[in-house]
Amino acid sequence: MSVPVSGPLGSELAEAVAQARLLVVGAGGIGCELLKDLVLTGFSNIDVIDLDTIDVSNLNRQFLFQKKHVGRSKAQVAKESVLQFYPEANIIAYHDSIMNPDYNVEFFRQFTLVMNALDNRAARNHVNRMCLAADVPLIESGTAGYLGQVTVIKKGVTECYECHPKPTQKTFPGCTIRNTPSEPIHCIVWAKYLFNQLFGEEDADQEVSPDRADPEAAWEPAEAEARARASNEDGEIKRVSTKEWAKSTGYDPVKLFTKLFKDDIRYLLTMDKLWRKRKPPVPLDWAEVQNQEKSVPDQQNESSSVLKDQQVLDVKSYAHLFSKSVETLRLHLAEKGDGAELIWDKDDPSAMDFVTSAANLRMHVFSMNMKSRFDIKSMAGNIIPAIATTNAIIAGLIVLEGLKILSGKIDQCRTVSGNKTLIVKEKFAMVAPDVQIDDGKGTILISSEEGETEANNHRKLSDFGIRNGTRLQADDFLQDYTLLINVLHSEDLEKDVEFEVVGDAPEKVGPKPSEPTSKNITNGSDDGAQPSTSTAPDQDDLYIIDSEDEGHSSNADEAENKSLKRKLEDKECVSTKRARMEQTEEQDEIIALD
Amino acid sequence: MRASRVLLVGLRGLGAEVAKNLILAGVRGLTMLDHHQVSPEDTRAQFLVPAGSVGRNRAEASLERAQNLNPMVDVKADPENVESKPEAFFTQFDAVCVTCCSRDAMLRIDHICHKNGIKFFAGDVFGYHGYAFADLGEHDFVEEKTKVAKANSPAVEDGPGAKRAKLDSAETTMVKKRVRFCPLKDALNPDWSSEQAQAALKRTSSDFFLL
Repeated sequence: MSVPVSGPLGSELAEAVAQARLLVVGAGGIGCELLKDLVLTGFSNIDVIDLDTIDVSNLNRQFLFQKKHVGRSKAQVAKESVLQFYPEANIIAYHDSIMNPDYNVEFFRQFTLVMNALDNRAARNHVNRMCLAADVPLIESGTAGYLGQVTVIKKGVTECYECHPKPTQKTFPGCTIRNTPSEPIHCIVWAKYLFNQLFGEEDADQEVSPDRADPEAAWEPAEAEARARASNEDGEIKRVSTKEWAKSTGYDPVKLFTKLFKDDIRYLLTMDKLWRKRKPPVPLDWAEVQNQEKSVPDQQNESSSVLKDQQVLDVKSYAHLFSKSVETLRLHLAEKGDGAELIWDKDDPSAMDFVTSAANLRMHVFSMNMKSRFDIKSMAGNIIPAIATTNAIIAGLIVLEGLKILSGKIDQCRTVSGNKTLIVKEKFAMVAPDVQIDDGKGTILISSEEGETEANNHRKLSDFGIRNGTRLQADDFLQDYTLLINVLHSEDLEKDVEFEVVGDAPEKVGPKPSEPTSKNITNGSDDGAQPSTSTAPDQDDLYIIDSEDEGHSSNADEAENKSLKRKLEDKECVSTKRARMEQTEEQDEIIALD
Repeated sequence: MRASRVLLVGLRGLGAEVAKNLILAGVRGLTMLDHHQVSPEDTRAQFLVPAGSVGRNRAEASLERAQNLNPMVDVKADPENVESKPEAFFTQFDAVCVTCCSRDAMLRIDHICHKNGIKFFAGDVFGYHGYAFADLGEHDFVEEKTKVAKANSPAVEDGPGAKRAKLDSAETTMVKKRVRFCPLKDALNPDWSSEQAQAALKRTSSDFFLL
């Protein structure tokens, strides 16, 4: 039974939709929502690819999967679930990595549209390049907590995913945390998970033990599925929660240490494929560590407590700290009575000690330089869980952008952020900005007074007579922060710059280059140069292009978190978000987990 | 949320999405109420009714796939018409969400909810347009706010000490707040002659008047 879906689409678009062939890369959080939305919109020819298998932690948001599917291929099960409510859908599922050379440019050329629903930078870069090579429009997206965003990438029309350098990735797949950490932050996240597994509320999303179902560990995707099933069945039989296990040993620190930093590491070493291109981890033995010479000179112990936090200690000291904090936390837990749970709080000394020592020991095992308590505290403080409805919203937006492309309105496509706010709020992290044109007339663009300039939100900068070289004065009285923004417009496209910034292409010519950034030096000055893209004629609204899985917060509190608390007076050049990210990296980094 | 019982009225596209989100999040119980039968258009509007359900009651047809989303939620289907439900029916719920409802029915239900301290949500979708409304009565909640660190005047402090004090004070406090929501009746009938309303008018999307 095929029901005409035109309805709000109109027959021409409905026809295009029915004929279109789509590629959806990823069948996880966004992927599930996206598949559902696409099918209900009338798309019936969809290829979906995902190298991963279903894990129990996925079930709270990847709604096409149920408990009975754990261990099976995500792409395959997603297809089956969709067929349950729309049997006529023509879906091809691939349990494979999109980076497999089989999926060459010819493969990509088959598609009308490609949509990303990925969780890592490498795959995104790869798909970006393939789509450019095949000249197929790509809709890129990402989510982090309550924030998310959608971007359309089309060769020759918009900039591509790699046009601007991206800040450090903030979401980490489970297998990176559990099996192959390569950066301190992975170890810190692991340590926080460990805290919850041992003392707090256990969460399936926060597994710390080695992941046998790691797709990278298998030589063939089918093998991964078999491993996943095996580990799932094993788990059913022997499933003792980490907390129960720890309790049964009386939270013995030495036993814990041995399991986490020796036995589990040895287990990881048996998954040889993981270590072909990586430095393998080195297990720690408790007794050996105890026999080590203390490498931290004693005199440092006498320095004031203010500096101690910034010291990096040696392995023996961290082992000792680990043992001590486990003891203390065990006591806290016992005090609270049966079935009690501790809540992680970065300001609780023993909780922080625990994470500091556990993270550092893991870093050492994986040959990373250990960090001071101070650094770890900064990084550990901000972690955001995944939220199902964010994925739902973003998936909906992806479909809307897709429809625009199909109706030939790619010039109307714009980067949509999860929270719409004006540039000054994100880029310059202002909370209550006032922006006026610095032309003597003091025309006000944005007012901190609520509601006063809301009508301006949808108007173009050119409406206000803003042209090349116009200066805008932005200040935030709450933060005591003033900025002079130079709006630049450039007609020339430099030879090595291939892509322009998103904007409306005027009907007369081809995509009119409005590329200001390369002229504007400073790294990531693209961000501040956003106003300049809007000065191109027939320009689009002031929407921001941002890093892949970061959305924006219009929430004042979040903006406060991100801002630097320093005074900037009459800063003439455009300030850059990226520069700020680097500086604030230690403090206010927000880290999200998928 | 884990203890709440929610009533969801209308299982068309919007209703199905709401059901999915609530069930995945994990409420205590969700009752899906809909007296309509599944039409061919419905099968293209929502994903809970399996193929071959045309003619069945919409709520009942959606039940199985909805329950499968999260076995821990007590999901029920009710095939009756919401307009025939007495006040006592609604008081068993902590929150009510209505879709596909006539204006009068919504006003009546909001009135009952408001009176009984039940959270009320309404929404609907028309092609590319849609709306959502919430009446949470007198709503108390807690918000996490960061304490904005005051810029330290350099004065006497030695370098590293002062700097660290500033950076470390990113503490958060929980702030209690109370917001009073206006009932649906008032939302639909604002007095446009008042100054306040006129200011608000500028911000109001034209969609509001479509309702």
